[in-house]
Amino acid sequence: MTGEQIILVVEDEPQMRRVLRTTLDGQGFRVIEAGSLADGMRAARDTPALVLLDLGLPDGDGLELVRWLRGWCRVPVIVISARGREADKVRVLDAGADDYLTKPFGVAELIARIRVALRHSAALGGPEEPVVEAGPIRVDFPRHEVTVDGVAVHLTPIEFRLLALLARHAGQVLTHRMLLREVWGPSAIEHTHYLRVHMATLRRKLEVDPARPHWLLTEPGVGYRLRDPGRAAKPT
Amino acid sequence: MAVTENRGGRSGTYAVAAAAVAVVTGLGLAVYVYLEMVDLAMLYLVAIMVAAVRGRGPALLAASLSVAAYNFCFTPPRFTLVVADARHLVTFAVMFVTGLAISTLTERLRRREAEVREATVRARSEELRSSILSVVSHDLRTPLAVILGAATSLRDPASNLDAGGREELLDTVVQEAERLERVLANLLSMTRVETGLTPAREWVPVEELVGSALTRLERILAGHTVEVDLERELAVSVDPVLFEHALVNLIENAVKHGAPPIAVRARRRADEVEIVVEDSGAGLPAGTEDAVFKMFARASSAPGVGLGLAIVRGVVEAHGGRVIAEPSDAGGARFRLTLPATPQPAAAPEAMADDERAAP
Repeated sequence: MTGEQIILVVEDEPQMRRVLRTTLDGQGFRVIEAGSLADGMRAARDTPALVLLDLGLPDGDGLELVRWLRGWCRVPVIVISARGREADKVRVLDAGADDYLTKPFGVAELIARIRVALRHSAALGGPEEPVVEAGPIRVDFPRHEVTVDGVAVHLTPIEFRLLALLARHAGQVLTHRMLLREVWGPSAIEHTHYLRVHMATLRRKLEVDPARPHWLLTEPGVGYRLRDPGRAAKPT
Repeated sequence: MAVTENRGGRSGTYAVAAAAVAVVTGLGLAVYVYLEMVDLAMLYLVAIMVAAVRGRGPALLAASLSVAAYNFCFTPPRFTLVVADARHLVTFAVMFVTGLAISTLTERLRRREAEVREATVRARSEELRSSILSVVSHDLRTPLAVILGAATSLRDPASNLDAGGREELLDTVVQEAERLERVLANLLSMTRVETGLTPAREWVPVEELVGSALTRLERILAGHTVEVDLERELAVSVDPVLFEHALVNLIENAVKHGAPPIAVRARRRADEVEIVVEDSGAGLPAGTEDAVFKMFARASSAPGVGLGLAIVRGVVEAHGGRVIAEPSDAGGARFRLTLPATPQPAAAPEAMADDERAAP
């Protein structure tokens, strides 16, 4: 972490803003608050390191802010939204948001997601990590090789591409649409069953118990996530 | 009601009217010599009544046909449409009036019936609303009261709490807030199911559904043994969000009300997929196997929302499946859920994608 990083909180509920400000202050971040879409756009010009965005704002949809931001910058955006709004989450993730948290959430979860997003954004533009590790799973990109506990695992080209994407975004959710577009091409974005079939075979090859996945997590109605290795080095 | 019946049904009722008159005429011709004119008229009234309970149109048709047939076949001079005796005109009038009166009464009765049915539906949604109100007032207020109590006590300088006491109160606040979350999630799903929202179905492997339910319950399941045994290649066509919620509720129910080990199994049975969640506790009290799925049923010993299993049934039935509770072989509670199996949609994703793009 470099000095005091700025986090922009765009949220119309003053109580929620208060909790977020107190919590993030305590974690050594500086917090700028915005209670509306317009305020959020104004505050975003101060180049925050990360944006926490509520979707239901009094003067518009948080989705608009994400689209506007993505028009000119790569600042990580984490969406905070209520449960049961999976379709909204998917829309805003597909528009370029980096991750989402379902209200209500615990502080530990929030901080973990912020750290993951900041780590990815710091790595952006630099050389890509040649190797990503998630617990026993090790993805070696240049050698095109995957091992579990040091034992080589044979993956089909599709399985490798799928795992590689999840590993490049370790800790972040990737929507069905994103994964389908990147792995199978734009014509396949509706075919979620391709994804489900290959996630199942990946789990069989990589998880100890594919019916109780510890690394390749499902986000129902949204997508998949490779568990952040930084947080879960030791399965509990 | 006649208006809502389809074409085939309507023409059917007219055929019945015509047939009834024909039968009576045939019968009348056969026994004509033994009967008085009045008795013959009575027979026609029976035919009109049969037609009239099928609606006003058939009633009028039967009355007209009866007048014509009675007049032609029986009233002197026979086999003409001439009426010699004016008293027969009264008979004709009675036939029409009877037909109209009976058909009017029948329609009024049908309308009443429809009203009663509508009122029953309204009463049921009224019941749902008052049930939800009772959840809101009890299941939301209790945790809120605990949270408020704990928080104010933590803030109060006069409460003289030691470190352990503070810790305990803070834990209570977190636990009760999580309970509130569950109540709200359940209310949300219940509303979705009860308002008859069509589930957004997708092809999903059972393994993925069970896996994500177990991941969501990771914290609650810590320290519990869960045996998972899923037949391979099983898949269903469900709304993944709703269905995961149903599975979460079933497993959570086994943890809260049963005893470990808990088992989750799935296998194919003919054209169906059967998912079983069972525990090794004391089992359900005999006779409550159906009642547990009712809204706001709850085991008196454990805290919780009486919505969990009602959601399970609501979600499963919205998908065209069934769920039942029964004793397990070891005497615990077993919940058995059946859904139509769904074969994998036709496609060879691996081959297709590899043709399109070279491997990196």
